[in-house]
Amino acid sequence: MNGFSSKAIHGVSLKKDIHGALRFPVYETAAFEVGTARDMELVFEGKKAAHAYSRITNPTVEDFEQKIRLLSEAFGVVAVSSGMAAITETIITLAEAGSNIVTSPFLFGNTISLFKTTLKRWGLEVRHADMTDISSLDKIIDEHTRLVFAEVITNPQLEVADFSKISAVAAGRNVPVVLDGTLTTPALFRSKDAGIAVEIISSTKYMSGGATSIGGVIIDNGVFDWRKNPSLAADAVKIGPGAFIMRLRREIHRNLGSCLSPHSAWLQSLGLETLALRIDKSSANALAVARFLESHANVRNVNYPGLSSSRFHATAKRQFNGKFSGLLTFELKSKDECFRLMDSLVMIRRATNINDNKTLVLHPASTIFADYPPSERARMQVNERLIRLSVGIEDVEDIIDDIRQGLDKL
Amino acid sequence: MELKVNGEAKSVSADPLSISDLLKLFKVEMPDMVSVQLNGTFVDRPTFGVTLIKDKDEIDFLYYMGGGQ
Repeated sequence: MNGFSSKAIHGVSLKKDIHGALRFPVYETAAFEVGTARDMELVFEGKKAAHAYSRITNPTVEDFEQKIRLLSEAFGVVAVSSGMAAITETIITLAEAGSNIVTSPFLFGNTISLFKTTLKRWGLEVRHADMTDISSLDKIIDEHTRLVFAEVITNPQLEVADFSKISAVAAGRNVPVVLDGTLTTPALFRSKDAGIAVEIISSTKYMSGGATSIGGVIIDNGVFDWRKNPSLAADAVKIGPGAFIMRLRREIHRNLGSCLSPHSAWLQSLGLETLALRIDKSSANALAVARFLESHANVRNVNYPGLSSSRFHATAKRQFNGKFSGLLTFELKSKDECFRLMDSLVMIRRATNINDNKTLVLHPASTIFADYPPSERARMQVNERLIRLSVGIEDVEDIIDDIRQGLDKL
Repeated sequence: MELKVNGEAKSVSADPLSISDLLKLFKVEMPDMVSVQLNGTFVDRPTFGVTLIKDKDEIDFLYYMGGGQ
């Protein structure tokens, strides 16, 4: 059983259900009885493998984690309550006050806020490097750098860096690369093959099966020697490759309390079964929509890594096996035109999520980037003429017809 | 050999016996996810194959990926 969908559907059964249920049950319980008082002591010492409390582990959540582990061929996975929780837990595990992290200036708005506001107050320095310029990355890493953070396809700039090159530079400086792989998931991009140490994913998006629930996953690909991370070095000598996952599970995840609910884990396990089908359809639809937009007289330009006009096309094509995910942007003449188009759409919905089954439209400058001054927005390549489209899995003719009728009215 | 594994007395006939052998003998699931203490001291993972168990040793397997076994 080697195929992605076969593995996603059949997964791994750690424990057979007593009734033979083919779908792993939802264990909606806070606590588990583990036997004798001595058994309980062993569980708390970590010497007996059993679930004790659902903030730390839960069978339904574990089933979801093991499926992700199988699909990404990773060392270990921890599922958490959101994509932002996944980023927060990972940074707190690997970095400390007085250290720095190196990131792209192009990141999801809440990630920027987490780094530049929340974690800054706790003494973490954030440095910016152009991830598409390897020499800039190499120059900015120093002995206090704890990780390099990047997004697989930046949103909404749609930049795609060469992650094997980034990993090679970071490895040369003994620094792990943490990648937000939400837009590709292991269905399009196996980050392990590119040397990525940790992949974090907002499972709310493609993975959840259609915006069913909020969640996140932290994937340790097992390619980084944690003895090189000052925060984990002592543990890694004793524990070996499990040092990162063990610190997460036994300290950070446990203490922060950002646990994924069993019901959300169940929904997202269901989503995994159709992940490859949906991401393929979303990618194919996005390419057709991008080509249509390029041909329309009222559209000033289109940005999508699947188009040969994108300067990231060749890199994206090679890394993501000829598929480019479902996110694209395009520009009209003015903010007023953007709003008129958005309000004229009939099937396409105005909403802030991405990678839903539904096609969603958003005006980034007035919504997710509204808190940033114009100069900052300009630096992030977000202008008032820009529309972001997250292309869903509807019939592509209907998506294009909806956009065409709106564009023709401008 | 008479051993104490995770606090329980166990009799094992194999000798010599390394930590890697012990992980197999006790059919520990996902052995990559287990760390090992020998007489109270963590054993470096690269030495699992060459660290030999002696009579009366106390071995603790520490699990950290959750339960399920």
